[in-house]
Amino acid sequence: MLHGKRKITPYLYLAPCLLFLLFFVYYPIVENIRYSFFDFSAFSPSKTFVGLQNFIDLLHDKVFYIALKNNILYAVISVVCQVFGGLILAAILEAPITRLLSGFFRTVFFLPVVISITVIALLFTFIYDPQIGILNNFLSLIGLEDWTRAWLGESETAIFAVIAVSQWQSIGYIMMLFIVAIQGIPKELYEAADIDGAGGIRKFLNITVPQVKEMIFVTTLITLTGAFTVFNEPYILTGGGPGNSSDVLGTLLYHSAFFEDKMGYASTIATVILILTLMISVIQMKLFRTGKDG
Amino acid sequence: MKKLFTVFTIFVLCMSVLVGCSSSTSSSGDGKVIQLNFFHRWPTQPKKAFFEKAVKEFEKQHPNIKIKTEAVLNDSYKEKIRVVLGSSNPPDIFFSWSGEFAYNFARAGKALDLTDMIKEDKEWSDQIIQSQFIPFTLDGKTYGVPWSMDGKSFFYNKKIFKQLNLEEPKTWTEFMDDLQIIKDANITPIAFGSKAPWTISHYIGTLNQRLVPEDVIKIDYDPKNPEGDFSNPGYVEALKKFKELEPYFNKGVNAVDHEYARQLFKSGKAAICYMQYAEIGMVEPTLKDDLGVFKLPAIEGAKGDPNVITGAPEGIMISSKTKHPKEAMEFIKFLTSKEKGIQQVKEVNEYSATKGTLTDQNSSPLQQKAVDQIVNANRTALWLDTDLDINIVDAYLKGAQLMLDGKRTPEEVMKEVQKAAKEVKQSSAK
Repeated sequence: MLHGKRKITPYLYLAPCLLFLLFFVYYPIVENIRYSFFDFSAFSPSKTFVGLQNFIDLLHDKVFYIALKNNILYAVISVVCQVFGGLILAAILEAPITRLLSGFFRTVFFLPVVISITVIALLFTFIYDPQIGILNNFLSLIGLEDWTRAWLGESETAIFAVIAVSQWQSIGYIMMLFIVAIQGIPKELYEAADIDGAGGIRKFLNITVPQVKEMIFVTTLITLTGAFTVFNEPYILTGGGPGNSSDVLGTLLYHSAFFEDKMGYASTIATVILILTLMISVIQMKLFRTGKDG
Repeated sequence: MKKLFTVFTIFVLCMSVLVGCSSSTSSSGDGKVIQLNFFHRWPTQPKKAFFEKAVKEFEKQHPNIKIKTEAVLNDSYKEKIRVVLGSSNPPDIFFSWSGEFAYNFARAGKALDLTDMIKEDKEWSDQIIQSQFIPFTLDGKTYGVPWSMDGKSFFYNKKIFKQLNLEEPKTWTEFMDDLQIIKDANITPIAFGSKAPWTISHYIGTLNQRLVPEDVIKIDYDPKNPEGDFSNPGYVEALKKFKELEPYFNKGVNAVDHEYARQLFKSGKAAICYMQYAEIGMVEPTLKDDLGVFKLPAIEGAKGDPNVITGAPEGIMISSKTKHPKEAMEFIKFLTSKEKGIQQVKEVNEYSATKGTLTDQNSSPLQQKAVDQIVNANRTALWLDTDLDINIVDAYLKGAQLMLDGKRTPEEVMKEVQKAAKEVKQSSAK
């Protein structure tokens, strides 16, 4: 009796959460995939089944490739800056020399994470402003007038200016995760290395990096999926402009759905994003073989 | 970054609502008190307060009607109104721009035909400037009541013009000479911001009207007429003229928006700004007597109509699904009454489309002159971004943004526009 009861109780506790997940996460995903085979607008009373036509259109859409390229740029730069940069920052802050000030710097680096992205984006529109922005003023102050430009207003620089904002904001978060991981490394390892006469860089490469491997996996996954689902930063900073030069898949989806009123097409973009992020996680799981001790 | 997921979820949920609940029940209650939903685009002050006050007054006069207001700003409104009108529970009364934006609702059967109700109450409807009904009228049926009207002109700083001994330019050549003189004096000639690219559409809309014959435009702009293919050389010419202005804009136009441009002009740092008459109220208190207005100068040898001004009424429509068309119309009549119109000009700086609402008490001479210009113009050309199909607008604006960035030539932009137009016209012919 008691045994049977115990078996059902945990599931009862899980049920509410599971239901919410089903309704708010899995149901929309499944519905979205279904929608991507239809052509319809918010107005149209009925949906027309078009099969794979939306996907074919997407593959012929020049803007899709611009957006995809921007997402890939986002991903590459984010991994380099956030995962590697974050790891190095964390290692420096955890090093014995900087211990004293690490609390202060941790706060400094983490602060951007807790500020709303909308606020940050608006703040950076001021920083990037071509005439009154501090970035251009700073550049002219140190004699680099030739470098001043309308950062968000030119096709070549717009996407990089947007990516830079994301790096500035997110590096603190990744750094924090690494600090936690580094603090979990047994002290004995470092002590043994000290006795063997290993230097700081050696210790970092041979102890810290292998020990936080699992965390590197997690953070890479976070930044990569983040890079493919990014929306706020480009939407607020440039709106995808000039032209489509700083569009990412997220802004393209939004534009198709709520501006051009092509709901089916937007669903298709969403499905493609889903496939991309799924692929990334599968590849990474294979590469890092998590869960198993390698 | 995770916000995309939220957007995505909301989007799918919206869709499920649209598809799932096609047979919902009405919320009229027990018949005594009628609730009307009113959806407009002014969640900011002072207009928000203006509408709140209007609703309260109306409810006092009509104790059996309750009005529930919802408001979202400009660009979001354009997106949201399309979604809610497609849902099973659309707002009874909603705000709309005129032209293609409104026709779209009419064609989809989302807007109620108001023709008979307007004809029935001549006493009220005759008070409204009749020409402002035109952009809400499709195939002889009127779907909206104009609430405000507006036009676009070059505003200029008289002080700067006087310093440099300049006159209001009459022709395009004079205009270009003046701009060069202002630039040589180290003053920004024209304040402009195109980060939100609708500002581009206002320039191009007017230039198109000037450079392309009227009948050609009519065919091209009509989303259902497959003969209009935007091939008239005037369109390229219009973009070229716009590009001629580019050296005289402030730096980095694609990175700043219109509010920034207005600020630049208002603070006297720029000599000229292309603005809407409704904005007079925003800059006149600062610039005072230094504020002047001139029309887009005549372009030599242009084939279009030189006496057209760009501008359009904005108005109010009723949903075709409303249960209470009479009561909804009552509210519209209340909002467009002469008494409300006078308050409207004074409190929110929007020119009412109702006759005789501009008095010396509530407006400046410049504002009165501006309204005269609207009323007396041969024709008003609508805002390009609400007059054309959204996909053509998109091709136009994205292309022009890149043109300002030096990445596209006017010919390339028009090629994209022609392609978009072809697709739109093909799909609507189906």
